[in-house]
Amino acid sequence: MDLRAIGESFIAWLEGLGIPQGWVLLINWILGALIILGIALLMALALIWLERKIAGRIQDRLGPNRVGPFGLIQPIADALKLLTKEDITPADADRITYNLAPAIAVFHVLMLFVVIPFADKVVGANINVGILYLMAFGALGTMAMLMAGWSSRNKYALLGGFRVVAQLFSYEIPIALVMMIPVLLVGSMNLNEIARGQGSLAGLGWYVWIMPAAFLLYFVAALAEGERAPFDLLEAESEIVAGYNIEYSAMKFAWFYLAFFLNTWILSAIATTLFLGGWQGPFVDQVPALGVVYFFLKTLIMFLAFAWVRATFPRLRIDQMMAFCWKVLVPMALALLLGSAIVVKMGTELNLPGVVTNGLMLVMNIVIVLVTLSLLGRYTRTLHETKNKRLFSPELPRL
Amino acid sequence: MSDVTVEKPLPFADAVPGAVIEGTETDVVVNPDKLVDFALFLRNEKGYDYLSNLAAVDYQGYKGRTPEDRFEVVYHLFNTKTGGDGMVMRVRLPEDKPELPSVILVWPGADLQEREAYDLFGIKFKGHPRLRRIFLWEGFHGHPMRKDWKEAYYEQDHKPYKSRWPEGHYAWEEDRAPWADNIIYPKGWDPATHVDPPPVLPKIHEPPVTVEHIKTDRIVVNMGPQHPSTHGVFRMIVALDGETVVGLEPELGYLHRNHEKIGERNTWLMNIPFTDRLDYLINMANNFGYVLAVEKMLGDKAKPPERAEYLRVIMAELTRVQSHLWAIGFLLNDLGAFYTPALYTIEERELILDLFEAVSGSRMMVNYMRFGGVKADVDEDWLKTARDLVYNRLPAKVDEFDRFLTENEILKERTIGVGYLSPEDAIATSMSGPMLRGSGVPYDVRKARPYSIYDRFDWDIVTNDGCDVYARYLVRLGEIRQSIRILQQALEQLPDGPIMNKKPAYVFKVPAGDAYAAVETPKGELGFYLVSDGSDNPWRYHVRSSSYINLNALEHMSIGYKVADIVTILGAIDIVLGEVDR
Repeated sequence: MDLRAIGESFIAWLEGLGIPQGWVLLINWILGALIILGIALLMALALIWLERKIAGRIQDRLGPNRVGPFGLIQPIADALKLLTKEDITPADADRITYNLAPAIAVFHVLMLFVVIPFADKVVGANINVGILYLMAFGALGTMAMLMAGWSSRNKYALLGGFRVVAQLFSYEIPIALVMMIPVLLVGSMNLNEIARGQGSLAGLGWYVWIMPAAFLLYFVAALAEGERAPFDLLEAESEIVAGYNIEYSAMKFAWFYLAFFLNTWILSAIATTLFLGGWQGPFVDQVPALGVVYFFLKTLIMFLAFAWVRATFPRLRIDQMMAFCWKVLVPMALALLLGSAIVVKMGTELNLPGVVTNGLMLVMNIVIVLVTLSLLGRYTRTLHETKNKRLFSPELPRL
Repeated sequence: MSDVTVEKPLPFADAVPGAVIEGTETDVVVNPDKLVDFALFLRNEKGYDYLSNLAAVDYQGYKGRTPEDRFEVVYHLFNTKTGGDGMVMRVRLPEDKPELPSVILVWPGADLQEREAYDLFGIKFKGHPRLRRIFLWEGFHGHPMRKDWKEAYYEQDHKPYKSRWPEGHYAWEEDRAPWADNIIYPKGWDPATHVDPPPVLPKIHEPPVTVEHIKTDRIVVNMGPQHPSTHGVFRMIVALDGETVVGLEPELGYLHRNHEKIGERNTWLMNIPFTDRLDYLINMANNFGYVLAVEKMLGDKAKPPERAEYLRVIMAELTRVQSHLWAIGFLLNDLGAFYTPALYTIEERELILDLFEAVSGSRMMVNYMRFGGVKADVDEDWLKTARDLVYNRLPAKVDEFDRFLTENEILKERTIGVGYLSPEDAIATSMSGPMLRGSGVPYDVRKARPYSIYDRFDWDIVTNDGCDVYARYLVRLGEIRQSIRILQQALEQLPDGPIMNKKPAYVFKVPAGDAYAAVETPKGELGFYLVSDGSDNPWRYHVRSSSYINLNALEHMSIGYKVADIVTILGAIDIVLGEVDR
């Protein structure tokens, strides 16, 4: 059972009806887009339920359990509720930007689904610059939040907007650098090719085993890109209330919420594709449709890891988070990229067997992680000895 | 016999001549003109470095008082190094010119308390840098704690409407014209030409380093009254330079109900359940403070029996455990931990509330203590549950929180060095409770001037000289352990016997005089300053609210930190607005 075969027989059936070639292509595209859209939106509802349920269990409570069996219908009920709420636009808001922002937020995430390979060659657009496409459209989401923060004419939203610029643009850099490492190894920016490249050694060829440091770095940076704890400063509830989306209500808010969950899912999906072997798994060569199952399973595990972190850790402060990006993640990503480039070049120049190259890569990764951790540990120890960390101290006037 | 009495020399007459008008070594009446000099003398020479309580009293109509000494401002001073009973300083002020110099430069902790006295009594403190109303709005007419203040409509001599039930009509006249002629405009004020006063802006503390070539603007953000992290309806007006706090002004009074005025109208007994509503998380401790103050005035005849003393201590320490658990959980929440630690600490708190419910019938509004005893006795089942909790469950759970939270890197990163308050500043700003001990000052009312039976137990004051939010967190954690120690001893020693020293009375008279009694609640020193004229309700009922006075240092602690830090700093003070606004 091959998903591609189903698609091809559908095309053949359409052509058999006597429809011209161009129209067949168009129908095909529209159908594919609708399927991906449907999957994405339905999945978002399931993810919201799942995250709430997981958070509930972690927090020693039940989570949603009233609407439908196990509370499964709860996200739909919430969506319906949000539909009936009043749609408020602040009087002073920049209306066009304000109303465009949620649309762009959802649009950019949905566009990211286009290049994700759900199974071998089962992908919306099998373009050979997939990674570049991901980064380009990923940055559009930042734009949406910035627009929301700026146009709401609210001080909390503005602060959230500042943070969007600072956080998301900064964390784009380590994430982009680290995404380059699998590209170096495979020699292609095509996501399907990258997933295919991890097929060797019955699962041991997954890049998470070969470059654990890169995976770790990606995971941490993805937490920040996905606005998740401990980097959820953009909408830090206890500080700036809701950040950039504070003024949004009803469906516009729901769109941001949707974008948030889909974004997390996409980040998990990218992690799966780049590091966890994508659709690779047992018997996937015989039954290609199994690839979809493996892909969703791995992505789900990644998503659960995100949810777990969210329910467990407190939040960093903005300066700490920026320092962590620029002083830890970016140098580490650069070192990893440089090391990987050297290892890959050595492999091709010296004609080393693949196992040796991978082993060298693993050693290099472990060394970089250890060095980073020891430096970080020493730094935090000195940091904790500082008693007063304020920027400047006012005097208490006294006689 | 000669009727020439030997003139006893006035105390401190040679140190600050002319300062003391009358009084003894520990209770003096001071001449307002010499107040600051005398205060400096007390602070520097006598070691009274801690201004615990500042209360104003209106003695209009009190026996033996004239308009010349109608108002009295009372200062309760203590020594944080030696402990002891401290001293009382009084300043008497005439009706027509209630003015005295501010002592804010001697004890900066007088800041909020002087503003409160100004707001509610109209007493002017010369030299106070921002003598504005604090609880009431700027346009409020009169000063409600004065004895001659009349509440609009209900207490006015002339009712604007003849009857509240005119000829059986359901529509009330006052519903149609709510204020009618019951409204008094200040002289020279006309609603038509009224212009709103300029908004209150915080004092800006200029950072030492400024970037000249970048043009930046400061923004002023209102954090609260509707904000998830202000622990109620509290508002901070924050001036921000980017994310750095350069100015902060606390604005409160959103929950103000003039608790003290209502307390004057209640009988002595009616105030016990009323104290439950002060800090609604530590009701037992509030009860405890109030009954101690009244028992101090009643004298030996109200001394509670042994079993009642033990029960009071058990309840107070259970309260400390649950309040600190709550504080720790919600501190983590303020750090952004998405409710997980809070929900785990609340689970333990609920078990303690179950005990309160079993003994008093209510989980929070317990109304448990009485003058000369407690309301209800505990039975064997209760003791068994309590022992199980105190010996097995709570110690294990505290260790668990310690293990999961204390060494968490993000927690340390966010709290160490944040909210720095040096020991000197902590004493100067009248901090109390974990705020003071988190700055390394070993001052605990239970040790400094032991009340009830605290001197019988073996326990330690927990201090930490980190002076930051992390230190306050560690102090709270340590205090839970010490409370468990006290609880274990108290449950072991709990004697049999009566729980009231005599038959409970509903109405009784308290001898004329005044008294100040304080207890160490989880939040700090909760004091009650009571004045009685010998009748069956208090002449003055003043609450020295620890949450409120701990806010004195908020501005000082927050300047120079980031927005996210002020939330943490406020969370570490652990305020409850029921007590702040009263």
